[in-house]
Amino acid sequence: MTLSRREMLKAQAASVAAVAANMSVPAEAQPVAGGVDALQISWSKAPCRFCGTGCGVMVGVKDGKVIATHGDTKAEVNRGMNCIKGYFLSKIMYGEDRLTQPLLRKKNGVYAKDGEFTPISWEEAFDTMAAKAKQVLKDKGPTALGMFGSGQWTIWEGYSATKLMRAGFRSNNLDPNARHCMASAAYAFMRTFGMDEPMGVYDDIEATDAFVLWGSNMAEMHPILWTRVADRRLGHPHVKVAVLSTFTNRSADLADIPIVFKPGTDLAILNYIANHIITTGRVNKDFVGRHTTFVKGATEIGYGLRPDDPREVKARKAADPAATTPIDFEAYAAFVKDYTLEKVSALSGVEPGFLEQLAELYADPKRKVVSFWTMGFNQHVRGVWANQLVYNIHLLTGKISEPGNSPFSLTGQPSACGTAREVGTFAHRLPADTTVVNPEHRKRAEEIWRVPAGLIPEKPGFHAVEQDRMLRDGKLNFYWIQVNNNLQAAPNSSNETYLGYRNPENFIVVSDAYPTVTALAADLILPTAMWVEKEGAYGNAERRTHFWHQLVRAPGEARSDLWQQIEFSKRFTTDEVWPANILDANPNYRGKTLYEVLYRNGNVDRYGLSELDPAYENAEAKAFGFYVQKGLFEEYATFGRGHGHDLAPFDTYHQVRGLRWPVVNGKETLWRYREGFDPFVTPGAGVEFYGNKDGKARIIAVPYEPPAESPDAEFDLWLVTGRVLEHWHSGSMTMRVPELFRAFPGARCFMHPEDARARGLNQGAEVRIVSRRGEMRTRVEIRGRNRMPPGVVFVPWFDASQLINKTTLDATDPISKQTDFKKCAVRIVGVSA
Amino acid sequence: MAERSGPRFHHISSAVVSALPAHVEAVLASIGEMPDTEIHRVENGKIVIVLEGATAGILGDRLAAIGLLDGVLSANMVFEQIADLDDLGVEP
Repeated sequence: MTLSRREMLKAQAASVAAVAANMSVPAEAQPVAGGVDALQISWSKAPCRFCGTGCGVMVGVKDGKVIATHGDTKAEVNRGMNCIKGYFLSKIMYGEDRLTQPLLRKKNGVYAKDGEFTPISWEEAFDTMAAKAKQVLKDKGPTALGMFGSGQWTIWEGYSATKLMRAGFRSNNLDPNARHCMASAAYAFMRTFGMDEPMGVYDDIEATDAFVLWGSNMAEMHPILWTRVADRRLGHPHVKVAVLSTFTNRSADLADIPIVFKPGTDLAILNYIANHIITTGRVNKDFVGRHTTFVKGATEIGYGLRPDDPREVKARKAADPAATTPIDFEAYAAFVKDYTLEKVSALSGVEPGFLEQLAELYADPKRKVVSFWTMGFNQHVRGVWANQLVYNIHLLTGKISEPGNSPFSLTGQPSACGTAREVGTFAHRLPADTTVVNPEHRKRAEEIWRVPAGLIPEKPGFHAVEQDRMLRDGKLNFYWIQVNNNLQAAPNSSNETYLGYRNPENFIVVSDAYPTVTALAADLILPTAMWVEKEGAYGNAERRTHFWHQLVRAPGEARSDLWQQIEFSKRFTTDEVWPANILDANPNYRGKTLYEVLYRNGNVDRYGLSELDPAYENAEAKAFGFYVQKGLFEEYATFGRGHGHDLAPFDTYHQVRGLRWPVVNGKETLWRYREGFDPFVTPGAGVEFYGNKDGKARIIAVPYEPPAESPDAEFDLWLVTGRVLEHWHSGSMTMRVPELFRAFPGARCFMHPEDARARGLNQGAEVRIVSRRGEMRTRVEIRGRNRMPPGVVFVPWFDASQLINKTTLDATDPISKQTDFKKCAVRIVGVSA
Repeated sequence: MAERSGPRFHHISSAVVSALPAHVEAVLASIGEMPDTEIHRVENGKIVIVLEGATAGILGDRLAAIGLLDGVLSANMVFEQIADLDDLGVEP
């Protein structure tokens, strides 16, 4: 065709962009579909594989391969836009070193811990795994068997894992990598509202008058949401943006109130804001009186280190860090009175003027406020407190659960909410906010799962950091890791994680699509199907459940995590894994395989192959002879329906661009706990935090407490770790996209120029970053996108050739058990050429 | 994006760039100097551009560079056409 067709295509592309950007579009330039039809690409919807934003993408398939993706213009989240990572989604499955067959460490033809990786069949892989698991169960019992999963598991993969581990193997040693990223947020939701996940939605962005970012660099980590924030700010001059961080990042470019504070002092700033609200008479007394109660939290609760660490021995309340006692408003007001402007300004290093402006955003009754936070709050030795302290100020002012007033915890993984939290893959959790420690909850799970009463163990299992310690100590011996790269992600990795994986007493299985550092430290590697190579479902940060179909076949012998779990379950009979007393009381379960009792239980296998959409492949359903994803999803949905976690019928989700739960009578819920928006609120109540029995939210009095490790004469700099725009988490996918690799090929140590000069270092100089735990080599960056204050350095963790977690400290929040990756002490020395 | 982007194909992609109002002119000037990149609309700090090139990689690299310009708050791809060059009458 001619140039005019090219011009037409360009005009069309521009008009789609204008619509996505919410700009006015001249009538003659309305977008028209097509343009790529000539290439015979078949397009289907899917959520993006990367972060927790949950953007919708259209995936183009031709000749059995994903050849293109673009933002889905029908997706409410991103309205057709794609960040730079999302733009290259189609390439993540086609890295040259994709794993295509199981690999077992062997010497002289048999398994050996110090052997070389050797290709084997799935049959041999499962035989070896089952033999190891059975030996461990026989020698040490179920607590020596564990699994580490992920917020990247699909909903049914996580659900299958929790059944297999808790009811099959009777072990609660199941934890997700989401422990490293939002456990603090989840615990704070439960402690404040009695129910997990945000009350608001992304629609708050377009309804608010102020944004406050607490330890969240949205410009790089949530670029699509940031575009919506920037759009709101630039289009509405009265809107204010405050950005709080321990260094100046790209998000600060939009800030009206830029605040760089000393690490850990956000706790004091939050209490100062509460004090400011109270002392200036701006408490919403009606709201506070009707919808809140006050408690005081235990203090001096330690740092989640190994129990013999002097800091733990010294901590007065390390044994019961979550304890609270009721107080009243007056006692709370007296508690925060110490957090004066002068005192907090001195402690945090923030100018009083900025602190006052920040406090006024919350205090001003005429201004709606959205608070966003991510890892700055969650990866914090007092992360649960930080989350709760921000709820305090939203509750004191009644700025919650309505359009534009929203404390909003963002997530980093595509299904941290949908899988890790909602399904309950944490060591203490069951589906839909129930827990293993509650006998009623266990009973209900056993009934829904159709397994004998008393089967689910009541003691919570080992959490992520504890799993590494138990592996190292030889108490956890059979360990299966799926969809995560924990040797790169976990703290203090050379002293805990690596030694745990290589402990001769242990057998480590890693399911992954690529040979990550974690896979290479395993004994058995299972090749895994990823993203649209299987049917899937994710749940994003705003409670949106979003499905996709299998669009292409996985390469070679790669199989999905779901297939792997279910196939493995066939290798065990109840007599091998359940205690005699339970089988004596339930003789009809004798001699059955775990596959029969967990998956062919008359419930999960309810939907036949005739229910499949004939337009799409479904490898797992065909392998097992029933629509396994639908059966698992519908059984799982039973937990939440009628309880405020209501999910729509399975088939609905294949039609829509996701729905935000609770979905009641086909309608999604945007603002929870508010009458008129949420059908679970009692008529006439106005607002009801029904997760708590009294319908009220908790305002907590907790103090500023210092970090676990601060710089001193020997280790004189704060180390903060984190991410960059171009790479997602450990980089196992994005580092294999050549364009993203080129854009940011290796980690760097961002540093203040004076700190560099004082050490005789120039831009680009090679350095050793040394902590009490270990060291890493990298290069100095004194320019670049992050501007550091003196005394603080930032190193991203995406680079497998530069493992910064060799230096980090395995201190956790004692309540959530989430690691603080933002605060430890290092020194930096030049490497002489 | 596209793997199948050999010499026969041509990528046309639109993107939305958000910039601080004070920087919009400078950002427009920088974008204007880039090859195969057109500015289509400018409104309230939002800039709609259209990028062209032989591969998605070329377009992605250019978008990444735009994202790092001073005053740019975000740069996101929106819609991509992968067209047959013969069909377009474009010199490959």
